[in-house]
Amino acid sequence: MRNRVAVAVSGGVDSSVAALLLKEQGHEVVGITMCLGVAAEEGGHTKCCGPQEIEDARRVCAILDVPHYTMDFSRDLEEDVVKPFVEEYRIGRTPNPCVACNRFIKFGTLLEKATAMGFDCLATGHYAGIARRDGKPLLMRSGETRKDQTYFLHAIRRETLERIRFPLAALMKDQVRRLAREKGLPVSDKPESQDICFIPKTGYGAFLRCRGIEMKPGEFVDRKGTLLGGHPGFALYTPGQRARLGGRAGDPLYVLAIDVKKNRVIVGDKADLLARGLIADRVNLLVDELPARAVAKIRYAHRGVPSSAALDGDRLRVVFDEPQEAITPGQSVVLYDGDVVLGGGIIREALT
Amino acid sequence: MKKIYLDHAATTSTDPAVLEAMIPWFRDRFGNPSSPHTFGREGRAAVETAREKVAALLGAGPMEVVFASGGTESDTMALWGVARALRDRGNHIVVSSVEHHAVLEPCRELAGEGFEITQLPVDANGMVDPDDAARALTHRTILVSVMHANNEIGTIQPVAEIARLAHAKGIYVHTDAVQTFGHVPFTVDEIEADLLSLSAHKLYGPKGVGALFIRKGIRIAPLLRGGGQERGRRASTENVPGIVGLGRAAEVARENMAGEAAELARLRERLIEGIRERIEGLRFNGHPERRLPGNVSVSFEGVEAEPLLLTLDLMGIACSGGSACSSTSVEVSHVLSAIGREAGMARGTIRFSLGRETSEEDIDRVLEVLPPVVKRLRAAGRKGTEARQNA
Repeated sequence: MRNRVAVAVSGGVDSSVAALLLKEQGHEVVGITMCLGVAAEEGGHTKCCGPQEIEDARRVCAILDVPHYTMDFSRDLEEDVVKPFVEEYRIGRTPNPCVACNRFIKFGTLLEKATAMGFDCLATGHYAGIARRDGKPLLMRSGETRKDQTYFLHAIRRETLERIRFPLAALMKDQVRRLAREKGLPVSDKPESQDICFIPKTGYGAFLRCRGIEMKPGEFVDRKGTLLGGHPGFALYTPGQRARLGGRAGDPLYVLAIDVKKNRVIVGDKADLLARGLIADRVNLLVDELPARAVAKIRYAHRGVPSSAALDGDRLRVVFDEPQEAITPGQSVVLYDGDVVLGGGIIREALT
Repeated sequence: MKKIYLDHAATTSTDPAVLEAMIPWFRDRFGNPSSPHTFGREGRAAVETAREKVAALLGAGPMEVVFASGGTESDTMALWGVARALRDRGNHIVVSSVEHHAVLEPCRELAGEGFEITQLPVDANGMVDPDDAARALTHRTILVSVMHANNEIGTIQPVAEIARLAHAKGIYVHTDAVQTFGHVPFTVDEIEADLLSLSAHKLYGPKGVGALFIRKGIRIAPLLRGGGQERGRRASTENVPGIVGLGRAAEVARENMAGEAAELARLRERLIEGIRERIEGLRFNGHPERRLPGNVSVSFEGVEAEPLLLTLDLMGIACSGGSACSSTSVEVSHVLSAIGREAGMARGTIRFSLGRETSEEDIDRVLEVLPPVVKRLRAAGRKGTEARQNA
């Protein structure tokens, strides 16, 4: 069936090829570039939607002969992603803004706008898939396991899956690049963007500081509370990270947790990082019922660990079969059954 | 799908007669008007004939017309030129708060060089009160710049009244008439302007050419120096085809303007009334009577202009948000803020600007398409808010 499809085109190779594939499938395609420019504020300029990116997206759409528009989402990014991101840091967590962006902006505001504009669905260049089982859509892991982006997509509202397309579902990254080259898309060899789009080159610390996060020197302590040294500000630390305490010999130390009230960063040995499970909230389910057993991913680069999972009110309790390192409050836990994404939540605390 | 163009305030199509008049000056009549030989002399004649035509529509003398690259250059030339020429007399400039950025930005630069800029407020219809202008004038004031008609909301300003007050104190008056030249009958004497900016592409002429009217005797420093063209007031080899096009466009406008303005005003009222009947929760912007014949500016509650414009475009209707210059970022328009539109309504503002080829069918098509689109976008907006609250 020929659909009217809005494709979120960033000027990168993945979304360009997504648009290409939809066009070749005969759909009526329109490219939309989201301008996310964080308000011109010191240290707050974005690199993902600069003039060069918009121009690349426009050129690709011109080659594909599809209309191209830019739409301003800077206020949405600020309200729904950046502000909550900064607030999470303020309370000692390590948030994942891409999860919020996918839920609230790409598959939130943009999808709703696209629907209102008369589009049947919204497509993106994510490495993920959508399958149907018993007539219901399921979010699926990409076959390109190294690039699979479902970790960042677990929080999208289930009802939106009907209106989402992931044209790259069956493709590997090198195939995507090859397709782009074959069609003469000028973005075929563009490097990947890895960083968070609104963090400037000056880094997290500078960004958080100019967003009003005070960096107050505090103490490094061990689990018993023994003072081990000083830190320049807890927002710069994340559980699992190596803690470099000047002039100290012996085994390396790792950040275990952050005690905001006392402005302390608690450190310990690698073995201390291990937790047997976690509690998450803001749970989002993408299936009718959560099975008792699932594979849990606790960060993007995590392989996943077989676990027992259960809902407890609006919280999710996950107990790993094998203890895992570095449970990070603010990051997501995502549950899988094979390639099916069951859902996930935002990690609140580790179970030790 | 028939494409309907309702963005004439951004730019107009080129009149076939204008195009035809220009073509020889791109081809074999390429001489430089400053050259004394035959090629040059015919170029000179063409430029001077065009100057007469522009002057005729302004009710000015030909020597009072200086060709430039467009409205922005003309505005800049007026502000910088007067500021530099009269620096010894004063450092105060009065402008309205709804001026085009081509006026406001040079003012900001001048402010950095020690000039004082007073921005006059406007009322809810976007009108400057001449009394406010009178109160703003001091013995240091050298220039008042108030646009003839606003590009976003269409309000026509009482330039003559303001000019009378300024002239009583010997102060120069500039007006940006980019939206009115060739659209609304007036002369420079009627509106008592000393300097007036105009642009060809807003009146069915080519882009890249415009003019600044400089009343005889006005002191002004040139922006561009070099070969002494335009009697030393604007160096640079003349854009002969463009100038010829501007001249021809002014001539065509002079013939048709009165009838055209009446017809556009009729279509404008049809559009306004039609929207009013079919859609609730909106405000029309600008003065209800003292307005550009082709301008309809409307703010919708609970709708963002951007998806509305894109949807209309996909359905073959081209119109605009506040103005065409800031197309990739949705900053709230200073004009809409100045007339007191709160930010939400301001972000839901679109402008239809009608023109020579606009038909009644076009208006009726808009009236058919617009209401359901507004309804859908409003519903989506509510859904977005709910989703956020349930987060």
